[in-house]
Amino acid sequence: MPSAATLRSLGIAVFVCLASGGCAPQAVTEQGRRINSLYDIFSVTAAGIFVIVVGLITWSLLRYRSKSEEEIPAQTRDNVPLELLWFAIPQIIVVALFAITVSAQEDVGAQSSAPNVEVRVEGFQWGWRFTLESESVTVSGTSDAPPKLVLPVGRTIAFSMTSNDVNHSFYVPKFLMKRDAIPGEPNRFDVTIEEPGTYPGVCAEFCGLLHEAMNFNIQAVQPAAYEAWLNEQRAGNGNG
Amino acid sequence: MNKGREMATVERARPAAVPRTGIVAWLTTTDHKKIGILYLYSSVAFFLLGGVMALLMRAELARVGLQLVDRSLYNQLFTMHGTAMMFLFIVPFAVGLANYLLPLHIGAPDVAFPRLNAFTYWLYILGGLTVMSGFLTVGGAAAFGWTGYAPLSTATYSPGAGPDLWIVGLLLTGVSTTLGAINFLATIFGMRAPGMTMFRLPIFLWNIIVTSALIMFTFPVLTAALAALFIDRNLGGTFFEPAAGGDAVLWQHLFWFFGHPEVYIAILPFFGIVTEIIPVFSRKPVFGYKGFVLATLLIGAYSFSVWAHHMFTSGAVSNPFFSATSMLIAVPTGIKFFNWIATMWRGSITLRSPMLFCMGFLFMFLMGGITGVFLASPPINYAVHDTYYVVAHMHYVLFGGSVFAVFAGLYFWIPKMSGRMLSEGLAKIHFVLMLIGMNLTFFPQHQLGLNGMQRRIPDYSEASGYEGLNLLSSIGAGFIALSILVFLVNFFVSMRTGKVAGDDPWGGHTLEWATSSPPPEHNFHRLPPVRSERPVYDERVKLGGRRDRG
Repeated sequence: MPSAATLRSLGIAVFVCLASGGCAPQAVTEQGRRINSLYDIFSVTAAGIFVIVVGLITWSLLRYRSKSEEEIPAQTRDNVPLELLWFAIPQIIVVALFAITVSAQEDVGAQSSAPNVEVRVEGFQWGWRFTLESESVTVSGTSDAPPKLVLPVGRTIAFSMTSNDVNHSFYVPKFLMKRDAIPGEPNRFDVTIEEPGTYPGVCAEFCGLLHEAMNFNIQAVQPAAYEAWLNEQRAGNGNG
Repeated sequence: MNKGREMATVERARPAAVPRTGIVAWLTTTDHKKIGILYLYSSVAFFLLGGVMALLMRAELARVGLQLVDRSLYNQLFTMHGTAMMFLFIVPFAVGLANYLLPLHIGAPDVAFPRLNAFTYWLYILGGLTVMSGFLTVGGAAAFGWTGYAPLSTATYSPGAGPDLWIVGLLLTGVSTTLGAINFLATIFGMRAPGMTMFRLPIFLWNIIVTSALIMFTFPVLTAALAALFIDRNLGGTFFEPAAGGDAVLWQHLFWFFGHPEVYIAILPFFGIVTEIIPVFSRKPVFGYKGFVLATLLIGAYSFSVWAHHMFTSGAVSNPFFSATSMLIAVPTGIKFFNWIATMWRGSITLRSPMLFCMGFLFMFLMGGITGVFLASPPINYAVHDTYYVVAHMHYVLFGGSVFAVFAGLYFWIPKMSGRMLSEGLAKIHFVLMLIGMNLTFFPQHQLGLNGMQRRIPDYSEASGYEGLNLLSSIGAGFIALSILVFLVNFFVSMRTGKVAGDDPWGGHTLEWATSSPPPEHNFHRLPPVRSERPVYDERVKLGGRRDRG
């Protein structure tokens, strides 16, 4: 039986989620977890604002319902100090949210000058090609046979997106991260995966008929298993 | 100014050579009220059409697997749903309502250029039909999303006539909207009745002023982008062709430089509607008139600097800059919220149908506004961009916001336009069903997006775990459809048998309530003096206390 305190904090968490649309799933990368904590701060702020505004509207509706046809309330037109106050308070809130956004963005967007693994991600209609140039390994697959890319946990991985046809977007929901693959426009993000597992990925930018089937999988394993996979790929000359 | 108005009046008083009646009168009219009503009927027709497309999509998404439509048709459906709702419903609805109300609100007999007004309406219809005619072509309608991202929208990847019809149709509607905006501005600046100073304009018209300015500055950009895309597709151009020295990101810049102000074009008039209705049903003047004006101007100004928040994941823009501006634009919207609440505060509130829909608007738009701040934060945006979270957000803004205000406006002003009241009972059923449907449909989509369901997909896998929430969402869409049916029944029945409205059924504040319902062709037999932004209220007080009829 959970304690009252646990239930209370669970209740608050559920409420905070509802007031901000939903809960972000726990990310499996260092950068994704930074996004998780940013999202949580936004959620708590949003829940606070939601409660205040909904409370004020509900109160007005309950308290100030018309009692008679002849009732004429005070014809208040404005109150400049009050208006300045509710100009200033939201301004302060968004400045604060912007400040924590910038600090999170610096962490999430940081790019290593010497990443452990460099993956060139090429989106095409309709599939993906992943190239580990320094390892001479390429895996690719299409909507019929989605490719699987094996990567090590605990290492810095740099993904560079490209495309030779239309726009795609490399999106791994469990990383809480996506970046577009736009022809002629280089794009990159770095992650460090913290948890081993298989993480499905999709194309997020609509790219034509089979957009929805442009899937792939990222399997995060211990570095030793990653080395073994690389050798296997090189021996078998890749699987696609 | 006044001289010009008198001359216009004299000119309009000349009788037409042959009096026109029936359908011919409607087809040849230059009366702003008739054109307004034509706009409203047409835009609602496109709303129903776009709604049917949405229902087809929700039916397809209810279960795993492709049951109802194939991929190609699905892609056409979401493209044309967005196109219909953004270009052929929500903006033309605002144009129609403004057409009807604007001259009445300023005490004028018509708009500044009545023939231009008729031209803009027919151009809009021509554009709308051109866009939709894509469905009749062999390859089907455009299928690259209402945002038309290049290079997908170029001839290599989207061949066929459907996309070209989409481009040409939107060009026509865009020109129509631009001409309409010029007409509105000329009318507001040139034809106000004596005493109707700028700071006595109904707030609705301040919203129309800013909306018109946004249209004048941004629709030409869309026109240019569409022309460039047409040249790429048909005349060997390479604007958006990277291999030939063009730039794929250029389309996104041009589209969103138009597209984000467009979002405000699609919401500001509806802020205006809500700001007109809440004071009437609170029996108070609008709180903070100048605050509203300032907030509207600020939103208009800021809206030019936020476009690239749609492009945070492109790696091609300065994310912190666009994040800052996008968060900042929440502040003037916040001011409006507090001013609406302050208008109700210590008021005498009656929850008649227009007010009920305004309350729906406040709650739903609040949700959409809050998630908008999340999306303005690039790291959060990386997670939820192009997912159902964005779909949920924009529908809370445009359906929960604009469409609730659409119905608030219809319940409020149809009695003026038709002379008959709509049924309050059916209006309440409509409201409850739509509120339930709206939240059932769109609330679960936040979570779907956070879990990773991307936009614009006709299907998802069993393993994704998306089926439950999608089913819920599709059931919600059924509730929305039902609520719209209730509205249509209410409308058609009440137009025949509804209670006669009289001049001023709500205890209105603004000049349209000083004339008959429906107003005569020249609008007013006599104008009450305009000494504040509530001339009709002032006159009622002068004549011995308030008289709320109806």
